Amino acid sequence: MKRRKLLVALSIFIILQGVIFGLLGRGKAPGPKMRVIHIKARKYSYDPPIIRVNRGDEITLTLESEDVTHGFYIEGYDIDAKVRPETPHFWLRHPSKGDDYETVEEIRFVADKNGKFRYRCSITCGTFHPFMQGELVVEPNYAYPVSIGLVLGLAIACVVYFKSKKD
Amino acid sequence: MVDLFEKIPFLKKIVKLRAFQFAVIFPNFFLFYLFLIAALVGTPVGNRNIMIVFVWIFWWVMLIAFMVPFASRIWCTVCPLPIIGEWLQRRTLVKVREGSTIPGFKQEFFGLNKQWPKRWRNIWLQNIGFLLLACFSAHLVTRPIFSVFVLGGMIVLSTILALIYRFRAFCMYICPVSGFLGLYAMTSKLALRRKDKAVCDVHKGRECFLGSERSYPCSWFQNICTMDRNNYCGLCMECVKSCPDNNVGLFWRPFCSDVDIKGIDEAWKSFIMLCLAFVYSVNLLGPWGVLKDWANFTETGQWPGFILLALGIILLCMVIFPATYYLFIKWSKALSRSKNVTTKDLFIKYSYAFVPLGLLVWIAFSVPLIMINGSYIIAVISDPLGWGWNIFGTTHFPWKPLLPEWVPYIQIPLLLMGLFYSIKSLYKIGMKIFSEKEATVRSLIPMAILLSLITIVFLRLYVG
Repeated sequence: MKRRKLLVALSIFIILQGVIFGLLGRGKAPGPKMRVIHIKARKYSYDPPIIRVNRGDEITLTLESEDVTHGFYIEGYDIDAKVRPETPHFWLRHPSKGDDYETVEEIRFVADKNGKFRYRCSITCGTFHPFMQGELVVEPNYAYPVSIGLVLGLAIACVVYFKSKKD
Repeated sequence: MVDLFEKIPFLKKIVKLRAFQFAVIFPNFFLFYLFLIAALVGTPVGNRNIMIVFVWIFWWVMLIAFMVPFASRIWCTVCPLPIIGEWLQRRTLVKVREGSTIPGFKQEFFGLNKQWPKRWRNIWLQNIGFLLLACFSAHLVTRPIFSVFVLGGMIVLSTILALIYRFRAFCMYICPVSGFLGLYAMTSKLALRRKDKAVCDVHKGRECFLGSERSYPCSWFQNICTMDRNNYCGLCMECVKSCPDNNVGLFWRPFCSDVDIKGIDEAWKSFIMLCLAFVYSVNLLGPWGVLKDWANFTETGQWPGFILLALGIILLCMVIFPATYYLFIKWSKALSRSKNVTTKDLFIKYSYAFVPLGLLVWIAFSVPLIMINGSYIIAVISDPLGWGWNIFGTTHFPWKPLLPEWVPYIQIPLLLMGLFYSIKSLYKIGMKIFSEKEATVRSLIPMAILLSLITIVFLRLYVG
């Protein structure tokens, strides 16, 4: 019975750690901003490799390819584009709405989901293609501080548990 | 622990069949050679060639996420790489050829049957081989022809060694895959063991080790009567056939039941594997183009960058990480206030901390491989060579990531699970070493800090 109570208390402690770290990692949320970002694609990376924005920001992306045809697929945002070298416009589709591309000169969307999302090449561009990716981090990225809290809470809880364990 | 042979008697009947090993290897052997041919003659674009897609996406994920944790070294049971050598060594596919080629053994063996050199009866060659291969991993996992060289080279080497050295010397001491399979198989839920020690103590025949008229000796040089870890058991099941007392069981047990790291070579294997998971996560799953260019040096021509990267990888695995761990061990020993344990002993024993965490990190690393690139499997089944065939009508199946935004939320619990099992195992090991709870718990604190820091580094890469 005592052991069960301890386990329950430690589980609550771990969850609390996650919550506290999540709250601490939240920071001060600035108001939504307009952000214009130009992304250059080349074999097998994007420049910038990491984009950090805040939730609610209105993002305008323009794409350019420096070598061959590349794709630009953003996880979780239903965006998949295709960009060719020396072409001022590019092609955009929303995978959930079908396979047809429309010609566009920019991609606009609101960063309305928190977290880390990869943008990846969606068109085979060479040998290293499956690993061509960048990162869109939409702050506050709760998952990261919460998971740090869980890690620390778990480590402490394990030590406390073993300390109180009977030989 | 549950003996699966008792729960499912049919399973025992199957593995006792003389043809069991051949029956499970042959389909795999056949497929593997088709893949090798596909890699040789098919498209050089990796994600369109069945060799790359099946081996480095499907096989890898199956191996690390399912086979190792739930079925130990079951891959070694079906592995096609060393089997030509074994068939040549025995000069038979199934039956046992009786003879007296090697003193003490009752079977006939072809070849020189030399004993493996004593100084190399460890896994250092596997450690070095795997580390060197890892430096070229960007080529290995993206170029079919490179995979042919490496996997084909392993077939040739294992066959040559089988003709020089007795039994499976290649698998035991050379195969780079075998090294990490052995280490991570310690965590596995499945284990082949003797059932009753008393039965073994009384019986003097040693058929499990030497073989009999109906079975071959243990190709892995293991004595099941005394074997207490999964590390070097290739699950060939010969001992199940040999044992006249039916004293071999296939046990289903809790995770991380084997916790004894027995040598400095095994300790370094745990460092190498954890560090390589970090390197691959940065290089293959990270966004940094410059590192990809260095790793991909044959295409980019960035040789100096590659040399720098390779030296960095070797230094990290062989020196930087072990040195950092050593400092934590010194701290751990100081906190334990124990005078009966040497730093070296603690260094070796506590290196098990990186086994459960390492395995779970590798599984977390593999989650995006299958969820993001798994749809390539559907396409290449119809067009294995990338020649435009459409055998099953799925060639044009589009690249379709499976719930990619959920990947980090699958990786987080995996990492937490690794951390939990590592600390839990350390407590078990500490209690064996210190035989006292207070000293064990005090020695755990620095290790819990180190393991937490490592977990946070991986969280930074996957989630942060």
